[in-house]
Amino acid sequence: MSGAATPSATARPRKPRVQLRTHLLVVALVAFTVFAAREIGFQWRSFAEMWTNPLWHRFWPVPWDWVLNRRNVLDPLVETFQIAILSTVIGCALALPIGFAMSKLTTPNAPTFWLSRTVMSVLRAIPDLMWGKLLVTAIGIGAFAGAWALTIFSLAVMVKLFSETVDAADPLPLEAARAAGGRHTPAVRTAVLPEVFPAFVAYALYVFELNIRASLVLGLVGAGGIGRVVETQRSTFNFDRLLGILIIMFVIVICIEQVSVAVRKRLV
Amino acid sequence: MSATTTPRFDPPAARPARPLAGRNWRLGIATVLIVGAIWSFDGLDASIRDVIEAPGKGWGIVKQMWPPDFATVYRRGAVGKIFESLYVAWIGTMIGSLLSFPLAFMAATNVAPMGLRVPIRQLFNAIRAVPELIVAMLLLTVTGLGPWAGALAIGLHSVGTLGKLSTEVIETSDEGPLEAISASGGRWISKMRWGMLPQVLPTVIGYWLFRFEINVRASAVLGLIGAGGIGGELVSQLNFRNFPEVGAVLLMVITMVLVIDTISGLARRRIIAGSGRAVDGGDDERSANIELIRDLGGTGLVG
Repeated sequence: MSGAATPSATARPRKPRVQLRTHLLVVALVAFTVFAAREIGFQWRSFAEMWTNPLWHRFWPVPWDWVLNRRNVLDPLVETFQIAILSTVIGCALALPIGFAMSKLTTPNAPTFWLSRTVMSVLRAIPDLMWGKLLVTAIGIGAFAGAWALTIFSLAVMVKLFSETVDAADPLPLEAARAAGGRHTPAVRTAVLPEVFPAFVAYALYVFELNIRASLVLGLVGAGGIGRVVETQRSTFNFDRLLGILIIMFVIVICIEQVSVAVRKRLV
Repeated sequence: MSATTTPRFDPPAARPARPLAGRNWRLGIATVLIVGAIWSFDGLDASIRDVIEAPGKGWGIVKQMWPPDFATVYRRGAVGKIFESLYVAWIGTMIGSLLSFPLAFMAATNVAPMGLRVPIRQLFNAIRAVPELIVAMLLLTVTGLGPWAGALAIGLHSVGTLGKLSTEVIETSDEGPLEAISASGGRWISKMRWGMLPQVLPTVIGYWLFRFEINVRASAVLGLIGAGGIGGELVSQLNFRNFPEVGAVLLMVITMVLVIDTISGLARRRIIAGSGRAVDGGDDERSANIELIRDLGGTGLVG
């Protein structure tokens, strides 16, 4: 090479070669995507039809006098909130002891630790709406089943978040409390709880947000709340009313999110 | 107490008083929560007896689900439906990521002009506020019943959350490489390709995978309203109250979710931490993870 004559112009470093394995992985993923797309009936034209759907004009104008009527929308909406509030309060209250049991730091004994972890991860693997459908079948159609569903689900989510925080808590105060002769529960309560409680409240707010979102659609599976109205209006093709309800839902979700973010910023 | 012994240790005269304000606060909040819960319970049309009986009813159903009847659901093609749910989640994630990635560039402060980025950010926020199930319901009028409606709904919904997060990644990227490319005469496109993309891609792909995990759960749920996949099978078995079959379907859903979480979690770790030893970021990473899950709109959580 001529570059050897002038030492200042060193050769370019060689371009790193892409490994064969990476190429194969990319090819496999693309192939899988194409295959999956064909299996589920992927259609390009849907992207265009989304905008030109002849049904869209039936969504307008929104009959506000119907939507803002107390019996039509407001009462189910209140029910939605009631489901979310009740399930958040109960779910989070139960999550406090179970969350402690699920952390290596504060668990009373190994069997409790493993049992609670296993049960909770199985509960968490079933999505919220599926809980709704299951409990509607088990204990009857209505908001009561919805509240149970969200209670179970918020418990499962909450213990996961909370136990991870407890895992990361400072172990020294707990050691001190034990060395001073504290029994298990009081030691955890006085040495660990104060440290993790702000996080607990922050997660509880997050879970409340999740529950509001979930309870808006729970009615689609018969578990009460505003979703029930959405379902009936959809099945009777009153799309204009549907849009009105959706706008209200939209506003609620945005408001709850803003409030929850603001409060959580102050806490943590 | 006798006067002859001299005390070797003087206990403090009196404990300092507990801060009263804190206690009042706690009492107030507890009252609000309890009153709120009672008011909520009151609105649910349920009696105390219902509450007492509900766990028994639930347990009765669980008992009927055992042993799960895999043979029947297998004959009805449940395995195919599990895979259909997976395909729906995958295609949804693909649509979401491929649409959100260019949009994220258009929404980032350090790339796009104000006039472009404000409307796109609002679009992300608006999408995030509409529940997936509602999107699917509206799309059913366009595509008809079936898995494609579900995939499209998941895809459109993912654009909101993925767009928001990708924008943040792009905004927090290092300016240095971009400057170096400008200095050596690179055009805008080279800056993005060689300066920006290598920086943001690992994190962004990590988010895509994260969202895929969430979408797997979402696609299982979407079946409940007729958008294909395993959810539909669950509904039909539940409606006929075939509980052993329901048990089998549920076990399949749980297995699918846990398997996908594990694989995707490993892949994410590999992409973000590289081939070296696994890096545990500790507490900071954990709290960041929770914000992330929130922003991704996730309910299922992985370790």
